[in-house]
Order: sequence, then C-alpha cells, then structure tokens
Amino acid sequence: MPSQIVSLDVNGERREFIAAPGATLLACLRESLGLTAAKRGCAQGACGTCTVLVDGRPEAACLVAVETVAGSAIRTLEGVATGGDLDEVQSAFIDCFATQCGFCTPGMIMVAEALLDRDPDPSEADVIEAISGNVCRCTGYRPIVIAILEAARRRRERAVTR
Amino acid sequence: MVIQAVHVPESVDAVVTCSARGGLLMGGGTVVMPLVNSGSAAVTELVSLRRAGMDGIEVSDGVATIGAAATLAAVGEHPGLAFLRPALRTIASPTIRNQATVGGNLFVPQPYGDLAVCLLALEATCELAGPAGRREAPVADVLTTGIAPGEVVVAVRFALPEPGTWHYHKAMRRRLNSAAIVTVASVTSAGDYRIALGGLAPRPVRAVSAERLLRGRPLTPESLTEAGEAARADIDPFDDAYASAWYRARVLPVHLRRAFLPESP
Repeated sequence: MPSQIVSLDVNGERREFIAAPGATLLACLRESLGLTAAKRGCAQGACGTCTVLVDGRPEAACLVAVETVAGSAIRTLEGVATGGDLDEVQSAFIDCFATQCGFCTPGMIMVAEALLDRDPDPSEADVIEAISGNVCRCTGYRPIVIAILEAARRRRERAVTR
Repeated sequence: MVIQAVHVPESVDAVVTCSARGGLLMGGGTVVMPLVNSGSAAVTELVSLRRAGMDGIEVSDGVATIGAAATLAAVGEHPGLAFLRPALRTIASPTIRNQATVGGNLFVPQPYGDLAVCLLALEATCELAGPAGRREAPVADVLTTGIAPGEVVVAVRFALPEPGTWHYHKAMRRRLNSAAIVTVASVTSAGDYRIALGGLAPRPVRAVSAERLLRGRPLTPESLTEAGEAARADIDPFDDAYASAWYRARVLPVHLRRAFLPESP
C-alpha cells in the first residue's frame, strides 16, 4: 500500500499531509506539520513526552499509527495558548518553577489539560495519577504537581469572576 | 521489518479478511507500535481494530459483554463495571489506558496483562471470529493456546460477581504504573474459590492447588498462607527487571493472603 493522504483536525485547523504506512502520529506532527512540541523520548509509550490529546483524551502519539486516527481532533501544546497569552497551566508551570530541562513539559501540560477539562478541582492524588505515565528525569515532580494544582485553582477563580 | 500497510477495517468481517491475509492485529498499539518503532516487528502489515466497531460495552441481567477493542479506560468508566475499577487503575497510566484494549490485554506476556488475570478468575468466555465463522472459547483456552491464524477475539463475556465475592490485589514496585510482581484475582462463592495469578508464569494461571486446599474452609491468615504455599505448584515464575523468580515465589503466600484479608500484615 503506497503512502496516503491523511487529514486531521490539529488545534482546530484541518491539516492534510502524506503519510508513509505505519508512520506515527508523533512523526507526522513533527515532520509533516512542523509541530515539534511533542517530543520523541522512548518511542515505546513509557515516557509520556509525546502525549497529545486525541479527541480530548491523552494518548502517547508515538504509539498511534496515524492512519488509525484519520479525521480525529488532535490537540498539541501549540494549541494551548491563545495568541500570545499562555493559559493557566502554562503560566502556573512558569510561576511554580515546574520546568527544568523542559523535555517532559509538553506531555506534562497536555495530561494536565485533559485532567482539568474533566475535573476542575482535582486532589493531589488525582494529579499524581494523571501524570503517572509521564517521566521527568530531572525528577522535578513536586513543582509539577504544585503547578497543576495551582493552574486548577486559577482556572476555577477565572470561571467565577468571568 | 518495514511496515508496508496499515489496514483500518470498519467491520469484524473486514478485520477477519485482513487478518487472514497475514496482517498483525493491533488494538491500541501499546505492544505492537514499540516493535514497529524499533524496526523489530515481524510483519509488514498491521490491522488496526480502532474503527472496527468492536468497542461496545454492554452490562445487562448480570452479564457483561465487552468488545475486544474497548479501551481499559472505557471499561473503568463504565458504571456497570465498577468492581473492576481498582484493578484497572493498577494497569499502566491513565494515558496508556486510553489506548490499551481488552483484547490486547489477553495477548501480552506477563508481567503485563492484569485484566487477563481478572478475566481468568471470572471464567470469561471469548467470542471469536475467523475465516471458518464464529465460535466461542473459554478465556483460559485463549490464554494458554491462543487463537487460530486469521482469527480475532471480538468480545469477552462474563457473569458479574455477586457483591462481596470479588477480590483483587497487585504487588508492584510503585503505587502507580508498574508491572506485576504478583497479581491475585478471585471470585469466591459459598466456600468455592476461583483464584487466578499474574506475574508468576509467562501467562496468567489458575491457582488450582490453592483452590483445592481452601474449598469449604474459612479464610484465615493460616489457611491462606497454607494455600499460598500450595500454589507454588501451579506457577512457573521468571526473572525480570521488577523481581526475581525466587522473590515472586517467596512472596506469593503473603499477597494471596492480602487479596482476601487486606488488613492482615
């Protein structure tokens, strides 16, 4: 079977590209669409830095053959900010010093986005479970957990004042 | 090998056709895609179950029927399958549970596949489709002898355990996202015990020696320890990065006891 044209809704925009058989969603985002926030870490689903949202749910993009999600809505870190304005999770990561080398950050933020979409007031245990598939080799987990709880607080506050 | 085609069939019949031509079945890709990414897949064609309409979950009249392509997340979120939720939360991470499927879980080697251990204790039935038509097989047979070339597991079906009769315990190195050192799943009914073990053999196994020893006896720390020691006859433990075979066999009685008496030390 030759390469085929795949169409995805990426961060709210319809994107079409040519994919070789078995190409991963991750490779297509990075190499065909130039969206390099999601990283290739382990390429076996163990590290979480390639995590993107597929139809609203976090998935390891390195484990997704792109043909299998044709037509789906994909959300990556590039789609989180509004124009130049960082969202609550991104700004909380900065304010809480939750990035060190930054390699895990794209995946951490995307699982946090999915968690807060589903549960605006997660417990610390909920946050720890949500990021349990994401490895930070700087082992800066504590500030990451604090940042996600802070982002949840800011988002709830904004919802009240809006 | 380099992948030449990824088929995304939209019906069970189309899955069987693709599978019969030699394509490797892929549920969520959590086991197959690492092989593809490292160039070590032994096939050139993949057959994805993602769009095959095999992900339905139905619970009625005390019987659950779960499509083989249902994700572990979907099973865990189903209100009729709440008893399985604690077990599912011991498997991988929420992200991987959005991808990994019930059918795929039957074919991963231990120490992965805790849901398969549960299905063995539940004496689930597999609905299979193949070039020769449909058939049913006990999950125990599928776990030990696999399925025929060209066949696919379409769904698993089991009777819901009565309230208070389901027991599950998994010993792992971390509280979240770690493979099994020892997994115990059991359904008890009127002094009769069905006990399945994970992490203790290449495939999930029934602890028949423990079941025999416990039959009709009350569950006490002493009887469970004795049963756990007897169950060493039923296992074939292995060394891996999580634990040694020696350690797995050594701690089996402790974890069998904790599966039934979580409060005991």
